[in-house]
Amino acid sequence: MAKHGRRGLSRRSLLKGAIAAATVPATARFAAAAEPRKITTVNGVETAADMAKAEAEGAMLFYTHDSDPAGAAIVEAFSKDFPKIKASYLRAQNGALYAKLLAERSAGRFAVDVVQFSEVSTAIDFRKKDGYEHYDSPQAKAYPAEALGSPSGYFFYSGIDFVGIVYNSEKVPAADVPKNWKDLLKPRWRNVISCKQSTSGMQFVQWYELKKIYGDDYWKEFGKLRPHAFDSRAQLFERLAKGEEQATILGEWAGYQLVKDRGAPVVFVAPPDGLPATPLATGVVSKAPHPESARLFIDWLMSPKGQTLYQTNKFLYYPSLRKDASPMPGGMKLTDYKLLFPKDLSEYEKAHPTYVKEWNGMIGL
Amino acid sequence: MERDDRPLVPAPATTVERPRAPTQTLVGAAVAVIAAVLVLYPVVYLFQAAFDVGDPNVRPPEAYGLDNFALLPNYAEIMLNTLGVAFAATVMALVFGFVIAWILTRTNVPMRAALEQLMAVPYYVTPLLGALAWALLASPESGFINQIARALGAKEALFDVTGPLGIAWVMALFEGSVAFVMISAVMKSMDPSLEEASQVIGAGRLRTMLRVTLPLVAPGVLGATIYVFAEMLGSFSAALVLGSPNRFYVITTAIYQLVSQYPPRLPLAAAMGVSLFVVMFAMIFLYRRITRSRSYVTVSGKAFRPRVMDVGRLRWALFAVCVLYLTMSVFLPMATLAFASLQRLATAFPKPGDFTLEHYRTAFSLNAVRSAMGNSLLLGFLTATIGIVLTGLIAWMIQRSRLPGRNMLEYIVMFPQAVPRLVFAFGMMWAWLVFPLPVYGTLWILLIAYLTVFLPLGVRTISGVLVQLDRSLEECGEVCGASWGYRLRTITMPLLRPGLIAAWLLIFVASVRELGASILLMGPNSKVLTPAIVEAFFSSSSELTAAMALIQTVVVGAVMLVFFAITRRAARHGA
Repeated sequence: MAKHGRRGLSRRSLLKGAIAAATVPATARFAAAAEPRKITTVNGVETAADMAKAEAEGAMLFYTHDSDPAGAAIVEAFSKDFPKIKASYLRAQNGALYAKLLAERSAGRFAVDVVQFSEVSTAIDFRKKDGYEHYDSPQAKAYPAEALGSPSGYFFYSGIDFVGIVYNSEKVPAADVPKNWKDLLKPRWRNVISCKQSTSGMQFVQWYELKKIYGDDYWKEFGKLRPHAFDSRAQLFERLAKGEEQATILGEWAGYQLVKDRGAPVVFVAPPDGLPATPLATGVVSKAPHPESARLFIDWLMSPKGQTLYQTNKFLYYPSLRKDASPMPGGMKLTDYKLLFPKDLSEYEKAHPTYVKEWNGMIGL
Repeated sequence: MERDDRPLVPAPATTVERPRAPTQTLVGAAVAVIAAVLVLYPVVYLFQAAFDVGDPNVRPPEAYGLDNFALLPNYAEIMLNTLGVAFAATVMALVFGFVIAWILTRTNVPMRAALEQLMAVPYYVTPLLGALAWALLASPESGFINQIARALGAKEALFDVTGPLGIAWVMALFEGSVAFVMISAVMKSMDPSLEEASQVIGAGRLRTMLRVTLPLVAPGVLGATIYVFAEMLGSFSAALVLGSPNRFYVITTAIYQLVSQYPPRLPLAAAMGVSLFVVMFAMIFLYRRITRSRSYVTVSGKAFRPRVMDVGRLRWALFAVCVLYLTMSVFLPMATLAFASLQRLATAFPKPGDFTLEHYRTAFSLNAVRSAMGNSLLLGFLTATIGIVLTGLIAWMIQRSRLPGRNMLEYIVMFPQAVPRLVFAFGMMWAWLVFPLPVYGTLWILLIAYLTVFLPLGVRTISGVLVQLDRSLEECGEVCGASWGYRLRTITMPLLRPGLIAAWLLIFVASVRELGASILLMGPNSKVLTPAIVEAFFSSSSELTAAMALIQTVVVGAVMLVFFAITRRAARHGA
């Protein structure tokens, strides 16, 4: 793997940009948790959940934007650690999942206990709708403050998705290998470069961040290359691996890792100008039917156990923000990269309609 | 619109308008109410969403207006793309369906029975699977065919399946089998003496086929046309897999963008969806205009035995036609997927170390696959069984009864077909979430959803056969004093048997492979398989997708073999 990232940046500085547009004063969160909860360690997981009540509830339901194998792996690992709680999951793509969740809640149906979104803006919107139950996990101390949302205690960043450039080493000669984002604007990439559709949250972050660095012209120039846009991450990487396209501007780490495992001739490049990144947001849902199991699940997910699963399961491959996280598969640590998170989330959210319009125009939709 | 109260054939003098049997009215009313609730209840929510101009995440809507419809002209090019592809694909599918239906029901082609059963297979190859297989076969750079061609010295790609014609080709291959099932059900119920008469007076085989067979099966063909065209309008997988990378979009891929982005633009998607009602209604109107003025009765009191033409040595050529179609739609895609599913990263020339069983191990380790398969089969069985009763009665009401509102019913049952499933599913979700019975999140909601979305399929298939039955056969029973239920059971249903079996199979398979409604409506303990397969394509790999889809295909295939065995035995006992 090519290393072009800058070393030595702390997570704290990397993540500052990911702070939510906070309006609630920091003290408000203490009001919600009036009584300090008793902290115990069960099966190696430090938790403030009431274990007896959690086991009496005996079940919990996890909604996720992630894939079926990913959802299955998560609940299976949790149930292995806590066999008395039957965990189940339901998955749908982020937008549809949120629409479904809101429709259920407005109809007075509360079945879900914990929800994970692929975009922070979804989580912020859900918090504004009082969708989350406040919970200060004892695991929080292992995380940088920015990973706990702002105000903290409603959702936490359960993993990171970030992108570099990925190219096919059999199709791209050494002289043409891109080193930074600007290298992808060369006419050489016309008709042989890929990206994602406007539905991708990651694509939105990249559009937003690179525009900040290089200005509006960057994407106009990129559009002239007639990029091929995909909905499916698997399809994007497989076509890249097989040479239908020769490089992708949206080289998601997790997707790259999965296709690399399968022997594809692909190389990940970390551009020195930075790698656009977005966290996954997970929290306990308010009015959850199994609140204690939900808290236990969050603690487990935040713990080294849950985070190791997120980093190493091939259907997940999300680097962890835990301060004591072990290196990712391939040996790199998250701190090896200069990650670019949107700094002003309200400005970022406002840019979304422009992004959709520009992006769809660019990819011919 | 104008009511058509005339019977399809002049009623014999013996049938005087008698007071309707109460059971008939009662059952008719009940069926009409069920169909209307199933369809119109979610449609109301769809319309509500289409006019929603407030915050789309707030339900019920905060403000109403026409803004969503005002945005539709922006999608004119996509609409034209959609109509173009749907039209090309429908024409191809009907040609495949009609020609093969004619070969298999009217000629002495070798291995007829085996071919006929194989003809249903393309339909239960999920569209995604077909698209995936053809992407593996004929992508310009990495398609197996093109890789082989290059290895043999070709400079350019031999085939490129990613253009509009390629998409239409893939869609037609797999929908051709629906057209076949619908048309052949009609052909089987047709009295062959009409064709014989044509030949006796000197017409050739082709002339007979075009001048006698084709006009007689016209309602079935027209019904199939409407159905297939609607399927093509709503078809998603081929356009997604093959079209999007090539910057070619259709309405379903555009709608998919709208519903899956954050925040989802459901109101605009709903507006697009309900606009398609107009296209569908125009087509049904046309269908009724064409079919109502003529009689298509071919099954009358006169006895006939289905006989086939001896086409001499031509039968081997016809055999080759069927085999070619099956190769393109079943054998080649299946072999490709099997080949791909055994590799780490599929290529035409794998090295020995590239083979792996890992994808099958993953597939079987997924709970989703194990429990979801059972749910899918159970739902398929229930939907098909309840569905043929429901759609059979609806078809009978539309075609045969004189109950008021029956014309309206024909339009109502086509609603679910007119809107892409992705959008209709939202209507159903909103509707059944607030329904006072606790069906949401259980298998029941999926059953309700499947019954709703497959109403058009069942009604079209059964209606096509029903219009061929001479009304006098039922009336004869009536004169002899048989009750309505008894007539239905002993006269209409036995005559309808080919149509009913075809409908059962189609609905069963359609349920098992259903995607759009299932994604939104399944609960944590009521998962079905197809969404998991599609999901594997989005986030895991084509090879795992192929492995999962092949497992599904093998299981569904086994179930269908059992079904064939049972129906054949029942037919033998009944005969």
